[in-house]
Amino acid sequence: MPNPKSIIHRLRPREAALFFGPLALVFAVYYFFSTGFLLYASVQRISMALVNGRWVGLQNFKLLLGDPRFLTAFVNNIVFACVSVAAALTVGFFIAVTLSATYRAKTLLYMVFLLPALMPLSLVASVFRTMLETRFGAVNLFLNDVGLGWMAQSWLIDPTFAYGVVIILFVYIIGLPILYYTANLSTINTSLIESAVIDGAGTWRLFVEILFPIMKGTHRTIIVSTLLTSFRAFDIVFFSTGGGPSGATEITGTYVYNFSTTGTNVGYGSAAAVATLLVTLVLSGLHMRFARKDEQR
Amino acid sequence: MNPSHDFLYRRRHERFAMTAFLVVLAALWAIPLIAAVARGFAFNGVQNFIDVLTQNIGGVSLLRTYLNSFVIAIIHALVVVSVSALAGYGFTFFEFRGKEALYHLVLIFMAVPLTSILIPLFFITREANLRDTLVGVALPEAAMTLPFGVLLVRNYAESLPRTLIEAALIDGASHRRVFLDIFVPLSRPALINLGALSIMWSLQDFLLPSLFLTDVTQTTAAQAVLRFKEVLGATPTGIGRYNASLVLLAVPALLVVLFGLRFITQGLTAGSVKE
Repeated sequence: MPNPKSIIHRLRPREAALFFGPLALVFAVYYFFSTGFLLYASVQRISMALVNGRWVGLQNFKLLLGDPRFLTAFVNNIVFACVSVAAALTVGFFIAVTLSATYRAKTLLYMVFLLPALMPLSLVASVFRTMLETRFGAVNLFLNDVGLGWMAQSWLIDPTFAYGVVIILFVYIIGLPILYYTANLSTINTSLIESAVIDGAGTWRLFVEILFPIMKGTHRTIIVSTLLTSFRAFDIVFFSTGGGPSGATEITGTYVYNFSTTGTNVGYGSAAAVATLLVTLVLSGLHMRFARKDEQR
Repeated sequence: MNPSHDFLYRRRHERFAMTAFLVVLAALWAIPLIAAVARGFAFNGVQNFIDVLTQNIGGVSLLRTYLNSFVIAIIHALVVVSVSALAGYGFTFFEFRGKEALYHLVLIFMAVPLTSILIPLFFITREANLRDTLVGVALPEAAMTLPFGVLLVRNYAESLPRTLIEAALIDGASHRRVFLDIFVPLSRPALINLGALSIMWSLQDFLLPSLFLTDVTQTTAAQAVLRFKEVLGATPTGIGRYNASLVLLAVPALLVVLFGLRFITQGLTAGSVKE
């Protein structure tokens, strides 16, 4: 007689349809079809009407890799991602640890840091944009009021400042790393810290030699999720600088968006999309591999 | 960490310095929030907020955008929670070949950036005649959230008492019954967390509504920003009302975050721990 456990856990066709059918349907339509569509369109010259495509082989990809604007977008993506990660591991870590050792106004402070990350990014970026407007923006008005009018700038028109603005926005949405650190801090065994204190470790050493290494797993979660978020941070750039001035702050998201919505050559847009998709899928695959290794350990 | 953590900053001057630093950072973070609210009162004071709430701006009624956003968010949450619950159960309580491979295939799509599949999404929505419908926005949103949903539900399901489910199955209950009568009630905490997150994420979405909803009466709150900026953002007197509209457009998301914060934080951390 076969083991009853294996019988009750056996997946029969009816149950497969019930439990996995809906998921399979959504995935088939929205992911598998989409991926196939992109792969197909990326080797065609084809318009948004999606008829009369002409096979052009890898030409779209060659054009893409030869477009300095795409390369800028890609490099910007990496730069913004690195800034976010660096900010998360330093400022975010510090805020989370200090917050958890604070008594007063803990919830209020926590909300102030968390809220920007949980709001629609289109609104957050729009607020930044209107604050930095040259003529009526709050920043320039404030500088004029306090007699520092000479410091007022066209923040969003100057490429260097615009770049800085986007970087500040990426740092501004630091809420999720703080949330992850806070959650992990609550699971730490306090006796470890107590014994370190008894041994005479100062605040700095507690931070650097004990707390930071303990949270290795959280660091990795944060690094990967922040990297992936940066590829999805379309709204931030679109609503603050719009990718400008002249493509200086463009990221892959805004680049693909421009070719997807206005481009007459959908094939080219698809090639850009395929390139982005590949990078993110590889990142995600690497992450899952690491995660599994950790679990086995 | 326990509140007994005086050790972290034991010396008085350290405590003082750290608190001061934290307060300065918090002040910096609060500046944009305060500036938006303060600028909302420019020129006309409270009247700005009243105008934005009661008048149509560029054909868009703010209150209507709230309704549209919430309808999409609710449909999105219902689809995500039910499909994730089914698949989460399936991945936990069935044994079959290739299960883990399939599970990882699902998870890997968590990373897909929405912008990169815009063209096919546009095609699918057009062919399915779902343009200019709220469902047409909610469905692709649900597809984007599902990988996370499956992860969240499975993580939770693995922690449930397996013997309870097995006992019911051995007694002859069908998987459908076990799912409805035992699994769903037991998983309620995880499903509520997922629902709260789904609503929040849907309220954040700008791209899909702006792509698929061309009718101004269907505009969502996150999408309306663009319209309001065109109409109000250009003139100096409009800036007050524009800022007022930015503040008011944030209200639905703000309410969800304030009332659902516990579920949102639980859901996010549960999803990150065992990825």
